[in-house]
Amino acid sequence: MKRRSFLQLSGMTAAGALLAGCQAGNEKLIPYLIPPDEGVTPGLATFYASSCRSCPAGCGILVRVSEGRAKKIEGNPEHPVNRGKLCARGQAALQELYHPDRVPQPLKRSGPRGSGKFSRISWAEGLGLLTGQLRNLQKEKGADRLALLTPQLRGILATLASGFMRSFGSPHHLSYELLMPDWLRSATRASFGSPSLPWYDLAQSRYLLAFGAEFVESHLSPVHYGNAFGRMRQERDTVRGHFTYVGARLSLTGASADRWLPARPGSEGALALGMARLILSESLADRGALAANGLGAAQLLARLDRYDLPRVAELSGLPEGSIAEVAREFATTRPSLAMAGETVAFQSNGPESVRAIELLNLLVGSLNRPGGVYPDQGSPAGPETSFAELCSLVDAMRGDRISLALIQGNPVHTVPPATGFQAALARVPYVVSFSSLLDDTALQADLILPDHAALESWGEAIPLAGCRETVIGLMQPVVTPVFDTRQFPDVLLAAAGELGGEVAAALPYGSYLELLKKETLRRVAPAAGVDSGTGWASLLQKGGHFGRTGSGAKVFRWLPEAPLPDPAEPRFAGDEKKFPLHLQVYPSTAFHDGRGAALPWLQQLPDPMTTVVWDSWLEINPGTAAGLGIGFGDLVEVSSAQGSLRLPAVIYPGIRPDLVAIPLGQGQRGGGRYAKGRGANPLDLLVARLDEAEAAPCWNATRVRVVRISEKGGMVTTGHPQGSYRSDLIEI
Amino acid sequence: MSNAHPTPQVTRPPTAKSATAVNDELLSSLNAPTRSWYALVALLSAAVAWGLIAFGWQVTHGMYVTGINRPVMWGFYITGFVFWVGLSHSGTMVSSILRLSRANWRRPILRSAEAMTVFCIAVAGLFPLIHLGRNWIFFYMIPYPNQRGLWPNFRSPLLWDMTAITAYIIGSSLFLYLGMLPDLALVRDRSHGWRRDVYALLAMGWRGSAHEWAVYHKASTLMAALIIPVAVSVHSIVAWDFAVTVVPGWHSTIFPPYFVIGAILSGVAAVITLMIVIRRAFRLEEYLTALHFDNMGKILLVISLLWSYAYFVEVQTTWYAHEPIEWEVFSFMADRYSWQLAVMLIGNSLLPIFTMCFKRLRRCIPVLLAVTMLVNVGMFIERFLIIVPSLSHKNMPFAWGSYSPSWVEISVNVAALAGFSLLFTLFAKFFPIVAVTDVRELEARKAQVPLGRAELPSLAVED
Amino acid sequence: MEKTSSPYQWGMAIDLDRCTGCGACVVACQAENNVAICDKKEIAQGRDMHWLRIERYWTGEYPDVRVRFLPVLCQHCHDAPCEPVCPVYASYHNQDGLNGQVYNRCVGTRYCANNCPYAVRVFNFYPHDWPKPLDNQLSPDITVRSRGVMEKCTFCIQRIRRAKEEAKGEGRPVRDGEVQPACAQTCPAEALVFGNLADPQSRVARLSRSPRRFKLLEHLGTHPSVFYLKGGGREHV
Repeated sequence: MKRRSFLQLSGMTAAGALLAGCQAGNEKLIPYLIPPDEGVTPGLATFYASSCRSCPAGCGILVRVSEGRAKKIEGNPEHPVNRGKLCARGQAALQELYHPDRVPQPLKRSGPRGSGKFSRISWAEGLGLLTGQLRNLQKEKGADRLALLTPQLRGILATLASGFMRSFGSPHHLSYELLMPDWLRSATRASFGSPSLPWYDLAQSRYLLAFGAEFVESHLSPVHYGNAFGRMRQERDTVRGHFTYVGARLSLTGASADRWLPARPGSEGALALGMARLILSESLADRGALAANGLGAAQLLARLDRYDLPRVAELSGLPEGSIAEVAREFATTRPSLAMAGETVAFQSNGPESVRAIELLNLLVGSLNRPGGVYPDQGSPAGPETSFAELCSLVDAMRGDRISLALIQGNPVHTVPPATGFQAALARVPYVVSFSSLLDDTALQADLILPDHAALESWGEAIPLAGCRETVIGLMQPVVTPVFDTRQFPDVLLAAAGELGGEVAAALPYGSYLELLKKETLRRVAPAAGVDSGTGWASLLQKGGHFGRTGSGAKVFRWLPEAPLPDPAEPRFAGDEKKFPLHLQVYPSTAFHDGRGAALPWLQQLPDPMTTVVWDSWLEINPGTAAGLGIGFGDLVEVSSAQGSLRLPAVIYPGIRPDLVAIPLGQGQRGGGRYAKGRGANPLDLLVARLDEAEAAPCWNATRVRVVRISEKGGMVTTGHPQGSYRSDLIEI
Repeated sequence: MSNAHPTPQVTRPPTAKSATAVNDELLSSLNAPTRSWYALVALLSAAVAWGLIAFGWQVTHGMYVTGINRPVMWGFYITGFVFWVGLSHSGTMVSSILRLSRANWRRPILRSAEAMTVFCIAVAGLFPLIHLGRNWIFFYMIPYPNQRGLWPNFRSPLLWDMTAITAYIIGSSLFLYLGMLPDLALVRDRSHGWRRDVYALLAMGWRGSAHEWAVYHKASTLMAALIIPVAVSVHSIVAWDFAVTVVPGWHSTIFPPYFVIGAILSGVAAVITLMIVIRRAFRLEEYLTALHFDNMGKILLVISLLWSYAYFVEVQTTWYAHEPIEWEVFSFMADRYSWQLAVMLIGNSLLPIFTMCFKRLRRCIPVLLAVTMLVNVGMFIERFLIIVPSLSHKNMPFAWGSYSPSWVEISVNVAALAGFSLLFTLFAKFFPIVAVTDVRELEARKAQVPLGRAELPSLAVED
Repeated sequence: MEKTSSPYQWGMAIDLDRCTGCGACVVACQAENNVAICDKKEIAQGRDMHWLRIERYWTGEYPDVRVRFLPVLCQHCHDAPCEPVCPVYASYHNQDGLNGQVYNRCVGTRYCANNCPYAVRVFNFYPHDWPKPLDNQLSPDITVRSRGVMEKCTFCIQRIRRAKEEAKGEGRPVRDGEVQPACAQTCPAEALVFGNLADPQSRVARLSRSPRRFKLLEHLGTHPSVFYLKGGGREHV
């Protein structure tokens, strides 16, 4: 794209983005069409609509730009996912743009791998090296020796990446992220026949029963559900939605609950079925809904016979009374909603437990109803078995069947080492990274072709399960690139062009923008009736295309052939005597899976539950800690069958005595000055699979042992450890 | 000696000395400095210089070099400030009150007490400036006319502080100077060369006429009467720095009298300490006798009892009302600072009360030295325990914190002590440290005039 | 509340029943107001610079534990303890009911912070810098404070100014919801509501009449402009 057209587009975007008064737009439009040296009005900010890329939720953002510099990110009020709201990670995306340790231009490795020694090269040389490697593969008839690793891409970028790989002739395109909802898609497919993610109408619900679904901090679309939660609580005049949280650890989400049921890890599915049985046996189920889904109450009850209250109480370690009470409340306070989350899914019996929880929604008639759960139209399909694909790629790399790996993202940090990924990657002769920071993956690379920051990029952000409607969020550059970087898709296109032949023919685009514009207009224009000339600019002004729910929307309906969910006895890796405690790893509120760790605002943000800053920690029940002689902030060693690490301990009243928990995100070897060498990565402890046949990952099925090392944990909390228990003094 | 006190023809008691002898002895401190004096000055100067370096470090780097933080925004500096303001009550107490109450035994220690007042308050006055985040614009706090019409905030206790301290510095300096006039004349008459010129200038032409003496006595009495309310107000205002806030543990009506009593306690103790030091340094055993120590010990006893009462009142109201946050502050203080609390209670209350009850102990110099020094250690701790625990556990429990002083704050506080000692050492070398004329006046009063065969007191005054 | 000549009395309602404690407001505030980045050492020393913090209180024992979140920012008291104690008027009350802080005037006695019962005033102990190109993010609308100066939440006064100017230009009062501080703007759960308390119809004024309302440390008589709405029914129903 030419500079002139960029400026024109930006200028026009400015018009729409001036939220406060659109009528004043014209006078503010002019300065940007005239070159900046004449026309910048100091102190007058311009707002550009774009989309957030900090997590898969894809919220809409407005970026305030002053004198050519991005100053502040705000939520886009028009965007149906986040309705003008934004989370901490979204706010901090600004620092990704202006991070002082960004890779300023392409780098070539000049020392051993992992040493961090690189020499600066030009883009011409960098692209030459990349295409040289690709050509070598073609020459050696080893096109399938190319691997492309990306996060889970959606939309046009996914098409582009897979198109590149297909035309090049390699099957090894892996879209993997640790926390993506493959499990939810496969569970939904097993029960309802389609891999649509559920969209929960939380705001209209009167009773929420969340099983380890951390929708405030990480589950699916945190800002959307955080907002919906607020509305569920206090937006309606007479109704205050009730919230019960089930989970072995009282998470940030759980902290807002009215009632907490600390069920034993792995027992959530059985608990859900126990509640289902109780609802059926007391005839509290919605018979119409059962009939509509082809299920009969009596048969169902008979088949759930094993899940009688005493047994479920024993399995879950909860009092019978609470279970029954919650089940009755759930069945009678309609519309009610059951939500299954990662904590449940990453157990050995996770997939079946998730289905058991989904069954609860069916029982109370919450499928496809206001206040209930709908299929998400925006992301109807997506990867369901990416973990298995990861494992097979690891096998390929280990078997020296991969000679060139192109990696976007930071899998070296976010894939548990127990999968063998890191060791296998070391065997790949040539690794190209597209990281914009020298992260753990880039440190292992031979060539770094730095990507733009999100605020410099064109792109598309299709929200993950954040709304019922079809939404295409658009990303546009809000500032000129700070460094000599290029967008990942543009690099792919450039490489394709250089390679020529089949690859170039499959991707005949001058730039990613061209492709993006063409494809977006193709999909949107007929629906919205926009013409392709001004349509693009108006889409950019708005921040994307926000569709409406059509009448022909999909619904959830129980598959006739679907078996009833049957969660097995949970299994755990590690001998119970040697490793007496369960370990839960959970996405940190600030860093998600680690992508936020490089940003100082997020490092400085006190973790909401522990108020720890700039660190990682182990959460342990006060009673358990006392038994092990562990005090607040002590350094402890956590060991599993897989490995061990040292980190400070937080005495955490909201966790089962048989469980310890560590947040994800820290423990990076690279990632710039703010993340490097900070905290520990709990993934090092995890056992990947309980046995080879397992297709789903069970990150929460590892057992550990905790030993006190010293009192010097070096942990810093903003909350006073004793004062945190003295709310009586302020009478709140 | 011609223009000193008009002396009647007297015969002295057997022990009495000639005027010249008295002068010689009392002014011996002005003799050429010895090597040990130089060593002392060098040592003290080094400590002051170190403090200045520490302060310079703070100014050039930022307040982070101190130990203060959120929520404990005041620490050792303000502790030092209150402590030195307290010490400055020595002069007022000893000279004014005893002067007004005509306690004749006050005379030999009067000068040093007054000098101590001036130096203490001067040192104290530096602390609020040292502790500023931006010391270089301290003058914003001074009400000077300016184009923008910006004035300081007269509602702020800090401004009251500044006013009161300035008034006290001026008042106590005048008080010191006024009392020194006859002595300066005396020194002038005994010195030569440029020194004589300097002392002549300072003596302001004092000749010792009867009229001058009459005015002098009137002025001294007036100043003594005037300086007492100033002294009381200074420490009341310092107490208001704390008492007018909403900080739990500070917001207390007992604070002003409690602070004044505390100030007098530390002042009296410091005077006794100083008496012992001067007596030894300048060989004044004949003038600072057991009687003086006995009397000062009695005062110490009374003040210590008063202080104990005030402390008891403060604590028992907190305990009785049991207001949650107030009690929280107190329990935190008793828990976290238990040994400091113990030292404070022993030093300020138990020990002085016990020892000063006994005449033998009151007259025993080593005991007195130990007790009075411990009193001031206790008083420093008392100031610290008032300031820091309250701030550490303020109203919002989540934002509680703690404090420990940094090397910079400790250095500056040590330098303050050294600076005070240096000023005093220099003063003692250049000015008569014992009020010569006052002492001689006393000698004169003790003297007997022969009348026929009888010998009668020279002056018809009651002692 | 005192009546003043200004048609605006800015205030905020914080609904603790909505607040999830997620921390979005904390980062939004830091981003909007050029609040310095503090490293671990600074925070360990109690020299965190956040203008807005979320206090987290634990009550009860396992398994009956409860967590309460309490976002605490400057309460913009009408009888603010911080104001009279400042010897140089750096801390002052403006006509719209805000506690202003004049950074240029501040000499750093820190008395205001001692007398603030909410402990929301933060002091620049350290000189801070923004390593290039991070300095590009600094907002030109707000001063970057130097060391030795006290700073605090201003209710994003730069936004209020802008809104008032625009409204004045158009000859109308500032509309309800037209101006929001960064924290309220970003709050996912809409727990923070900002507006004009002098307008009885504004959303914040209506919330301020809620039966759930309370003020923090009300017994101190500081008359804050910030209301809290009690988290309802956190206990067993």
